[in-house]
Amino acid sequence: MDTVSREYRWIGKDLKRPEDPALITGKVNYTNDVSLPGMLHAAVLRSPHAHARIRSIDATAARELPGVYAVLTGEDALEFIDPVPCFAAEAVEERAIAVGKVRYAGEAVAVAAADSRYIAEDALDLVEIEWEPLEPVVDAEAAMDPDAPLVHENLDSNVVYDQTFAFGDVEGDFARSDRVIRRRLRWPRATAAPMETSGAVCRYDEASGRMDVWSNTNFLNFVAWTIAGTLKMPPHKVNFHPMHTGGSFGSKHVLGKQIAIAGALSKATGRSVKFMEDRADNLTANDSQGPERLYDAELAVTDEGEFLSVRLDAVDDYGAYFMFAITGNTNLMAQITGPYTIGSCETGIKAVLTNKNQQTVFRGAGSDVGNWVLERLVDAAADELGMDGVELRRRNFIQPDEFPYKIPTGNVYDSGDYPAVLDLALEHADLDHWRREQERLRAEGRYIGIGLATAQQRSTFSSTEFWFHNPAPATGLTTSPESVRLAIGPTGGINVTTFSPFWGNSPETVISQVVAEELGVDPSEVSVDYDSTAHGLPSAGPGGSRMTVMLSGAVRGAATKVKKKMFDIAAHLLEASPDDLELRDGRVWVKGVPMEDRSLSIADIGMKAYWHKLDLPENMESGLEGSFTYDHPYTSMPSDDRKDLGAFYPIMGHACHVSIVEVDVETGRVTFLKYLAVHDVGTVVNPRSLQGQIRGGIAQGIGITLYEEVRYGPDGGNMTASFDEYLLPGAPDVPNIEIHHHETPSPFTEYGVKGGGEGGRMVSPPAITRAVEDALAPFGVTIGEMPITPDKVTSWIREAREPVE
Amino acid sequence: MIQEDFLTVRVTVNGVAHRIGVEPRRLLSDALREDLGLTGTNLGCEQGVCGSCTVLVDGKSVRSCLMFAVQADGAEVTTVEGLARDGELHPLQAAFWEKQALQCGFCTPGFLITAVELLRRNPDPSEAEIRDAIAGNTCRCTGYEHIVDAVKMAAEGGVGERIGTETASDTDIESEVIAGEGS
Amino acid sequence: MKPTSFKYFAVRSVEETVELLAEHGDEARVLAGGQSLVQEMNARRVRPRVLVDLNPVSGLNLVNAENGLLVLGAMARTAAVESDPAVVLRLPALAEAASRVGHVAVRNRGTVGGNVAHADPAANLPPVMLALDATFTARSESGEREIPAADFFRGPYLTALEPEEFLTELRLPGLPAGAGSAFLEVSRRGRGWGIGGVAAIVSLSGGEVSDVRIGLSGMGPTALRAREAENVLRGESASDETWSEAAEVAVREVDPPNDANASAGYRRHLAGVLVRRALAVAAARAEGSQA
Repeated sequence: MDTVSREYRWIGKDLKRPEDPALITGKVNYTNDVSLPGMLHAAVLRSPHAHARIRSIDATAARELPGVYAVLTGEDALEFIDPVPCFAAEAVEERAIAVGKVRYAGEAVAVAAADSRYIAEDALDLVEIEWEPLEPVVDAEAAMDPDAPLVHENLDSNVVYDQTFAFGDVEGDFARSDRVIRRRLRWPRATAAPMETSGAVCRYDEASGRMDVWSNTNFLNFVAWTIAGTLKMPPHKVNFHPMHTGGSFGSKHVLGKQIAIAGALSKATGRSVKFMEDRADNLTANDSQGPERLYDAELAVTDEGEFLSVRLDAVDDYGAYFMFAITGNTNLMAQITGPYTIGSCETGIKAVLTNKNQQTVFRGAGSDVGNWVLERLVDAAADELGMDGVELRRRNFIQPDEFPYKIPTGNVYDSGDYPAVLDLALEHADLDHWRREQERLRAEGRYIGIGLATAQQRSTFSSTEFWFHNPAPATGLTTSPESVRLAIGPTGGINVTTFSPFWGNSPETVISQVVAEELGVDPSEVSVDYDSTAHGLPSAGPGGSRMTVMLSGAVRGAATKVKKKMFDIAAHLLEASPDDLELRDGRVWVKGVPMEDRSLSIADIGMKAYWHKLDLPENMESGLEGSFTYDHPYTSMPSDDRKDLGAFYPIMGHACHVSIVEVDVETGRVTFLKYLAVHDVGTVVNPRSLQGQIRGGIAQGIGITLYEEVRYGPDGGNMTASFDEYLLPGAPDVPNIEIHHHETPSPFTEYGVKGGGEGGRMVSPPAITRAVEDALAPFGVTIGEMPITPDKVTSWIREAREPVE
Repeated sequence: MIQEDFLTVRVTVNGVAHRIGVEPRRLLSDALREDLGLTGTNLGCEQGVCGSCTVLVDGKSVRSCLMFAVQADGAEVTTVEGLARDGELHPLQAAFWEKQALQCGFCTPGFLITAVELLRRNPDPSEAEIRDAIAGNTCRCTGYEHIVDAVKMAAEGGVGERIGTETASDTDIESEVIAGEGS
Repeated sequence: MKPTSFKYFAVRSVEETVELLAEHGDEARVLAGGQSLVQEMNARRVRPRVLVDLNPVSGLNLVNAENGLLVLGAMARTAAVESDPAVVLRLPALAEAASRVGHVAVRNRGTVGGNVAHADPAANLPPVMLALDATFTARSESGEREIPAADFFRGPYLTALEPEEFLTELRLPGLPAGAGSAFLEVSRRGRGWGIGGVAAIVSLSGGEVSDVRIGLSGMGPTALRAREAENVLRGESASDETWSEAAEVAVREVDPPNDANASAGYRRHLAGVLVRRALAVAAARAEGSQA
C-alpha cells in the first residue's frame, strides 16, 4: 500500500501547476526570446583541432563585412574579460575565448557580434587562422602517461588530482572477509543536453558602468559575484535577471563563458548582445559533460552474504578544464555505501585532464555512478555467492530503527525504511510471474530479463561538498541557503518572490502549496514572481534536488514571520492575546469563538496594515511582508584530517526499481516489457509533479544505459555534435512507469520533505543493466559498461559463445 | 559572399495576414520568432531532429528550422500562439495542464502542434499510435508518459472531431491516383 | 547554425527549372522536401549559391499506376506515398520503407525524389528502388533520360545526375503476380535513422523461389543489391534454412561503414539477420507457396 501524506490540507495534493498556463500558450520568455532595442547577435568560431597552438589569427576581413560590429579574438577580449570562474583550487585557468592555445575541439577562438546570427556566422567564415596542431590526448589512461602531451603546460601532469580517502577499517574488513567481489566498470561520458541551450543577453551601459544580464544561468544570487569578476566589474553593478529555463540537469549553474562572450561583445560595441548556443555549440562546448570513469571496484563479503567493505578506485576523464574540481567524485561519498550497513569504504580518485570538453555536473552529479557501481557489485556478489539478489540486499539493509544513520564517510542519512520500499516493489512487481515467463520464453528462443536495484538519492547539498576534498581550501564555503519574500497586500493578495530561476522543476507549485498550507488560503490565491540579483536575497537555486526542501523551509519561515505580524495586528484589533488566535480558512479567529464578527480576514488585516497606521499597535511599522533565508537544516564541518566529512547531504531519499526487458539477441536491441519504481522522498508535496520528475529521470537513465555517449575520435574530434549522433530517448523508447510512493518523513526539514528530482536517473541504470544481463545470462554475459548498444550486445554474445583467449 | 535582395513573403499566421521582407536564407523559424514576434516556437537544435520548432504549414506539421520563410509565401501557418481562442485554452493545452505533460515547457509547443495534427488525422489513437506520432518530438524532462496521457485525454474529450472543423486545410491532395490500363 | 546566402528561385514549371540549372550548373541545388538539404545548409556543410525551389511546380507529385508501372512524381511527399492505396496494394515494401523515413514532419515535406537523389547510404527508399529495378527520369537542357536504379547510386551522396539534371519521375515496375515484399530496418531507437535496412521481394512457385530481389541500405557506400545471395536463392525451396544460407552469402557482399552509431562489424552481422528475416516475411506474403 502506498503511504502518502494525509495529514495536510494542500501538501500532498496533485494540483495543476500555476507555472503551466504561460508555458502551454508559448508566452514565457526564455533567454532566446529576449529582444532589446538595437540588440546584436553573436556567434562563436570554434577550433577544429582538439589540441593546437594559434600561431596567428586575423579578423580584418571579418570586421569589414557589412552588418558586423565587432569581432574579438581571445587576445582582443583580454581588455574586456578575465578568466571564467573556476571553483577548483588547482591552477587550471579557462578563458571564454582561447588565447594562444586550444584544448578541445570546439573551443572558442573568436566571436562576432552583428545585426543577425546569420551575418555573425558569415563574418566568422572570414577569420583566418594559422594553426600549429599538437598531439591530442583523448583517453585518460594515455593522458596519465608521464610522456603524454600536457593539456595545461603550467601543470606537471595531466593528473590534476590524485587522492584516496579511506573511512573505517578497510584493510581489516577486507582481511576478515571470505571473498572479494571484483569488477572493472566503465561509466560512459554523457551530457545534459536540455532542450534549451545555454546563453546570455548582456547590456553594458558605459555611462552608469552597469551590466544587465538576461541568462538562463542558475547561480544568480549565490555566486553571481564570481561572474562579475570575469566581466571585470564590481558585483553591485552587475544585475542578473532571472529567466525561465528550458531545462538544465546541472548544465546551467554558472555559464561564465556564455555570459563573458555576450558581455565582452556588449562592452566592445556599446550595444546589447545576445549569445545563444545552438545545438552544435551545446553538444561541443557546453561544459556539461558527466563523469567518464573507469572503476576497479571491490566488495568484501562473507559467505553468508554480509557486506563488509567497499573499495572503489576511479580514473575520471575530466576533459580540458576543471571548473567544479572533483565535485562529481565527492558527491558520491554522500551515499557510497548505499542503503547497506557497510562498515568501511575507500575511494581513490584520479582526475585526469584530456583534450575534451569538460565535466561539470549532470543530474546525479556522480552519485548516479556510485549507485551503478555498488549495485553492479551487489549483483555480482549474488551471482558468485549463488544467492538471490533481492534477499542479499534485504539482509544488508540499514534497519528503520537505526536512523539517523551515519555512514563511514561521515555523512548522515536522516531517515528511511528500506525494507518497506522493497516490499512495496515486490508486491507490485510479481517477480514469480516474470520468472516463469522468462523460462517459458527461453524455450521459444526469446530472452527476457529482470533487474532490481535498491539505491539512494541524496538531496539538498551542503556547500562543504565542494571543497572538503581539499585539506586547505581557499574559501571553505558552508552556506547553501534559499530565500523568499512573502508580501500580503492591502486587499489580501499574496505575492511570493523567489530569487532562484525556474528550471522546469515546479517552484511556483511548491511555493503556492506551502503558502496555502501555512496561511489557510487556496493555492490559486498565491502569485509567485522571480527577482534579480540587484534585489536578491541569498539563494543557491535549483541543483542537487534541493528546491522542494529549501523553498518549503524558506516559505514556512517567511509565512511564520508574516503570520506573527498578522496575529499582532489582529490581537490588537480583537483585544485578545496573540496566543489565543488561530488562522483558519483565510481568517484569524479567537480560538473557541466561531463568530465571524469576532474574526478578521487576511484582507481586513492587510488593509489595516497598509492604510490604517493609527489602528495598528504602537511602534509597529506599516506593511505586511516578511523575508526569510532558510539555511541548510543539517550540515556540519568536516574534521581537519578529513576522516569524517561531516553531514553534507543528509536529506536522504531512496528508491527501488524493477526493470523487465526483452533483448533481441540477433539485433541486440533492448525493449521494455515493464518498469516499476518505488520512491521514498519523505513527505510528497505534489505527487504528480514528483512522478513527472521520476519518469523524466528514468528516461535519462534509459538514455545513458542504452543510447547516450559523447564520443571523440582518435584525433579528438567530437563525433556526437548533433542529435542524430547523440541519441536521446524518444517516446517509443520510454515505457510507462508504474510508480508507488512510500513516505518516511525527514526529521530535519519542514514538513519532512526530501528532494526527489534526481532519483529517477540515479536508480534506473543499475536496474536496467541488471535486466539486460539477466536476459543474457544463458550466454554467460556479464555487463561492466554502458551504453548497452546493439553492437555491444551482439559482440558479447558472440564472444561468450566463442571465448576469446 | 552574396548579399541578395530581400523578397516579400505573404503569409497568414494564426489567421492574421502578414507581409514581411526576408532574405531567401532566412529560416521560417526565425521569421516567425523574430520578424513576427511569435516566440512561442522554440529552437532546440536547428538540425531538424528535436521537433521543438514544429508548426503547421497548410495543415501539415513541419520542422520550421528546415524550411525557408520564402517557401511559406501564400501559406497558412499555425503556431502555438494560435491554439488558444478568445482566452480559452485549446483542449489539448487544457489536457497538457491537467496531466502535467510539461515541466520546463520548451518542447511543449512542438508537441502541441504535432498532437493537433495527429488528432485531426486520427481522432481516437491508441497509446502506441500516440507514441509513434510524437516520436519526432524530443522531451528531456517528462519521459513522455504524461504527454501521452494528455493526448489521450484530449482525444477522449472529442477533440479530434472539433479540430477537424478548423480552418487549416486538411484536405490537401498531395497525390492523385489515376488508374491506367492493365493495372 | 544558419545557412549562407543564396539566390532563390521559386519555379513554376519544369522548363523553368531546366533553364536555371543549365545556367547555374553546379552552383545551384534543387530544393525538394529540404529535410536533408536544409539540414546540410544550416550546418554550412553545403553552400549553394543558387537554390531552385521545385515545390511550387504542379504536377510533379502525382502517383499514377499505368501499364503495370507505378509512376511516382519526384515531388510526391513521402507521407503521401506511404499511405497511397496503389502503393500499399502493389508495393507494400515501398509503403513500409516510406513509413519508416524519419518522423511525421519529415515525411510531410520530404519527397521520394529527394530521398533518392540525396543518396544517403542509409536512406530507406534506395534499396527498395534497387530491388524493384526502378528507373529514374532525369531532365536537363539535353532532354530527358532514363537512369536505371542500378546505375544511379555512385557513392555516398553521389548519384549519376549531372549538376544541371534533376529528377522528375520514379518509374517502378510492378511485381510479378503473387510476389511478396517486405522492408525491415533496425534503428538504434524505436524511430529514427536506420543502422541498416533490407527490402526483399520473393516470388514462389510450387514452394520454390522463382524470383527474388534483395536491396540493402546502410551496408556500403551506396544502397546495394545482394545479387550473389539472389543467385543462390533461385530454385531453392522456401524454408528457414534457405533464408539463412542466403543471408550468409549476403553478408559477404556488404562493405558497411563504421560510425558513431554502429561499427562495420555490427552492420555486417545485422545484414545477415535482416536479410534472413525479410526473406521470411516476403515469402510468407507471397502466393504460390503450395505445390
